[in-house]
Amino acid sequence: MRDATVAELVTAVQGGSRPAFAGLYERFHRVVHAIVLARVHAGDAPDVVQDVFADVWSRLPDLREPAAFPGWIVTMARNRAIDHARRRRPVSDDTADLAVSPPPAAEAAAALRAIRTLPETYRETLIMRLVEGLSGPEIALRTGMTPESVRVHLHRGIKLLREKLGGSP
Amino acid sequence: MSDDYLWDKSGDDPEVERLEQLLGGYAHDAPMREPPPRRRRRATVLVVSATVLAAAAVLAILWWRGRAPAASPPRQLAAAGFPYELSADDGLCGGPGALVCEGGTLGVGEWLETAAGARADVKVADIGDLTLRPGSRLRLVATGPAEHRLELERGRLSARVTAPPRLFVIDTPVVSTVDLGCAYDMEVDAAGRTHVRVTSGSVSLEGNGHAAWVPWGHEATADRARGPSTPVRSDAPAAFRDAVARFDAGGGGGAWSVSPLATIVDEATPADAVTLWNLLSRTEGADRAAVFARLDEVAIRPEWVIEEDVLSLQPDALERWRESLEGTWFLDP
Repeated sequence: MRDATVAELVTAVQGGSRPAFAGLYERFHRVVHAIVLARVHAGDAPDVVQDVFADVWSRLPDLREPAAFPGWIVTMARNRAIDHARRRRPVSDDTADLAVSPPPAAEAAAALRAIRTLPETYRETLIMRLVEGLSGPEIALRTGMTPESVRVHLHRGIKLLREKLGGSP
Repeated sequence: MSDDYLWDKSGDDPEVERLEQLLGGYAHDAPMREPPPRRRRRATVLVVSATVLAAAAVLAILWWRGRAPAASPPRQLAAAGFPYELSADDGLCGGPGALVCEGGTLGVGEWLETAAGARADVKVADIGDLTLRPGSRLRLVATGPAEHRLELERGRLSARVTAPPRLFVIDTPVVSTVDLGCAYDMEVDAAGRTHVRVTSGSVSLEGNGHAAWVPWGHEATADRARGPSTPVRSDAPAAFRDAVARFDAGGGGGAWSVSPLATIVDEATPADAVTLWNLLSRTEGADRAAVFARLDEVAIRPEWVIEEDVLSLQPDALERWRESLEGTWFLDP
């Protein structure tokens, strides 16, 4: 299962394989969390991630092209996060981030808030890189974006973030 | 310091490393929850079919024996469709002269109408829901894994959908509203004129050979003659909205300085990037170049989106700029 391609895992999950589903979770949960965290309180994000994967499990049989899975799950995560954000308090209410255990330092919360003020495209990519620890090539592989796009997003995003943070984190 | 550290973690960049350390506490490490049992659609169909066959066999035997079943309400098998609940708009149901509130299932090809003062809450498969407002008429055209399609002939509704793009469509007499993952309000008048206001995500309005991309915070109107209008943000100043309306109505010609497009280009702010992006494909020649120049001023253009490609309306360039633009107006609703 560890060496299987994403398309092979998707096909297996469509057939009902739970080990293959665990394999997809292992490879994509950080990307989904990053997309959610870009829009939702850190304390709420893990539950939204689980909701996304519950959707994946129930709707994956409808996905006709297994190779399209990265773009498909990214869209699903965005929709779930937007839907959740509409019904909850604004993310600018940063005290809710203290629901994360252990609470992050105030400096970390300030950095996350600064990222959330960036354009959406840079926001997601920077969280994947700086929070989830994915490398640029891994982000491209997991999201379906081209490596060139990811590289540009990272470099422009970090430039804007440095400006927001006053030149130093 | 090396740019490569940000890209592939090779080399070093103390500033980025410090950000990683700061933010790493937010990283996701929760284990997977076991998914619920998956619905077995094929099996369900077979069970229903078997039930139908069994019921038919019993009825046939009873008929053959000349013994009609005891009088009882006709038993209805659940039909494929969208469940709905009818209610009074003011919350009052029943009583002399009041509305009868009930529920049912809207089957494929069936119409659902709401009287004055009544509304219907409709569940859209497992992807969302909508509220049909008083005095409206709605039909379920199709429902399945590839598409859920409705037709709003007249009236108002509010829809909220969480699904992959283009899975949910509402047709009106003049336009198709293609869901790109969103929530929106729409109204269709007696002439079929359709107004859509997006409150989350975005939709694509498609009709009469034109398409308009309408993200949250924006609205557009479609009519039979012109298809979808150029979207404007809901809080745009009256002068700007008026200029867009005059442009859509064909108010061109004459000196540039007094044309509605000149007003749009001059008055557009970063918040109007969506309007400008939509105008790229609605203009030509020097007009398109003016729209491009203004959009390039008020919004970030990705490095890989080339001016020549935009001016020649290369679909890939337009789409990539549109994706990039998504971040410039996105604020959590």
